[in-house]
Amino acid sequence: MFATLAGRALVPVGLAVTGFMVVCCLVLYSAISDNLHQTEIVNATNLADTVLKSTRYAMHKSDRETLATIIHNVGEQHGVDHVRIFNKKGVVTFSAKADELNHQVDKSAEGCIICHKGPTPVSSLGTMQQARTYRNTAGMDVIAITAPIYNSPDCSAAACHVHPAVQKILGTLDIGLSRTEVVRSLAMLRIQMIIFTLLCLILTIGGVTALLMRTVFTPIRKLRDFVEASESSTTPPATPPDLPHDLDMIATSYYNSRLNSLKETVNPESSVSQSEKP
Amino acid sequence: MSENSPEQSSTDKPRKELEQELKRLGRLSTRGVLALSLFLVICILAWWDFPYLPQPDAVTSVIGAPPCARLISIALIIYAFSAIILSLCRMAQGVEHRSSFCHVGYLTAFFLFYYFSKALQQNFWAVFGAGITILGIESYRIWNHCAERILKVKENIEFLNRNGRLPPQ
Repeated sequence: MFATLAGRALVPVGLAVTGFMVVCCLVLYSAISDNLHQTEIVNATNLADTVLKSTRYAMHKSDRETLATIIHNVGEQHGVDHVRIFNKKGVVTFSAKADELNHQVDKSAEGCIICHKGPTPVSSLGTMQQARTYRNTAGMDVIAITAPIYNSPDCSAAACHVHPAVQKILGTLDIGLSRTEVVRSLAMLRIQMIIFTLLCLILTIGGVTALLMRTVFTPIRKLRDFVEASESSTTPPATPPDLPHDLDMIATSYYNSRLNSLKETVNPESSVSQSEKP
Repeated sequence: MSENSPEQSSTDKPRKELEQELKRLGRLSTRGVLALSLFLVICILAWWDFPYLPQPDAVTSVIGAPPCARLISIALIIYAFSAIILSLCRMAQGVEHRSSFCHVGYLTAFFLFYYFSKALQQNFWAVFGAGITILGIESYRIWNHCAERILKVKENIEFLNRNGRLPPQ
């Protein structure tokens, strides 16, 4: 394959085009995946903020029933994996799943360790640091946001409340969203890119092959057949076939020299000085 | 001990030169494959997240923040495009250029940039694909060039053995 003219012409072209397209597709896929992930985080953070703002009044009034209903309803929404609020000690006080209530959260678990890795917990995190992705026990990809519930003057100064003003964080909202749709979109994108790359490869190799066959390989084969037929016969050779200009010059030159040598063989004394292509 | 005839001694020097050239071309033809192998070793290290390197945070706290992953990706595409074009031009002109190992260096630099900007996992396959393409084309070019030259040198040796002189240039 590598020794033939076709192989030597097609291998570098195929390798260069396919390789470059694959690199471009991989970079593009990585950029799209990164963008989608950031959008997911922003959406999850916005949802966490919405839940916090919706529950703020109920927290203010210490209306635990309304708070539990809001958390339960949000948790039942399609695409929400879990919603829970835990207090400063890490005990789940509200959750959409009843079996999680009053359970102690492990501070070394993913999502908690970001703030609790030092002796003093970090009280503020960036949006990207609040997010974590993992696969839950059901095998579903989840993106979770851990949003702290900050103390504010209207909390600490209220008559019904016991939070001192020095306490910065009152608790934490943990909300997890399913990544099934995003994972499915990325899988579709991958398949589309593979098909696109394969089509481009077939088109490029096919196009280059067709052009080379038409302009190079077929004329060269005709020229080779003509030369072989002329060499093996003792009679005057047939006229050269129709060939592109460059190859036609070679064929005519060969035809004339062959005709001269045949004439010299028949009549050695007479030298043919010039001969023309018929 | 027999003495060489003057004719034989006059062909010895060019024959030796041709045989040395043959050996040199044989060594050169494996250069691309060696570079490709070295790149694969570096890829394995990158796949394991460079276990012998310090953590990105430790390095960036000393030398400053790395460029963002998107800029590195743009640079990677420009580099891959330029390297492929350059290699194809060299192939077309039949230039003997041994550039494979410097490409391994450039590709390692891309791995390191992605590593320090904490985006190596997402972009590993892009650098791997670029490396395989560039080094594959370079290997093919060097191998093809050497194969042609080896054929020519062997013809020259045969001519020398037959006629006692090198063919006219």
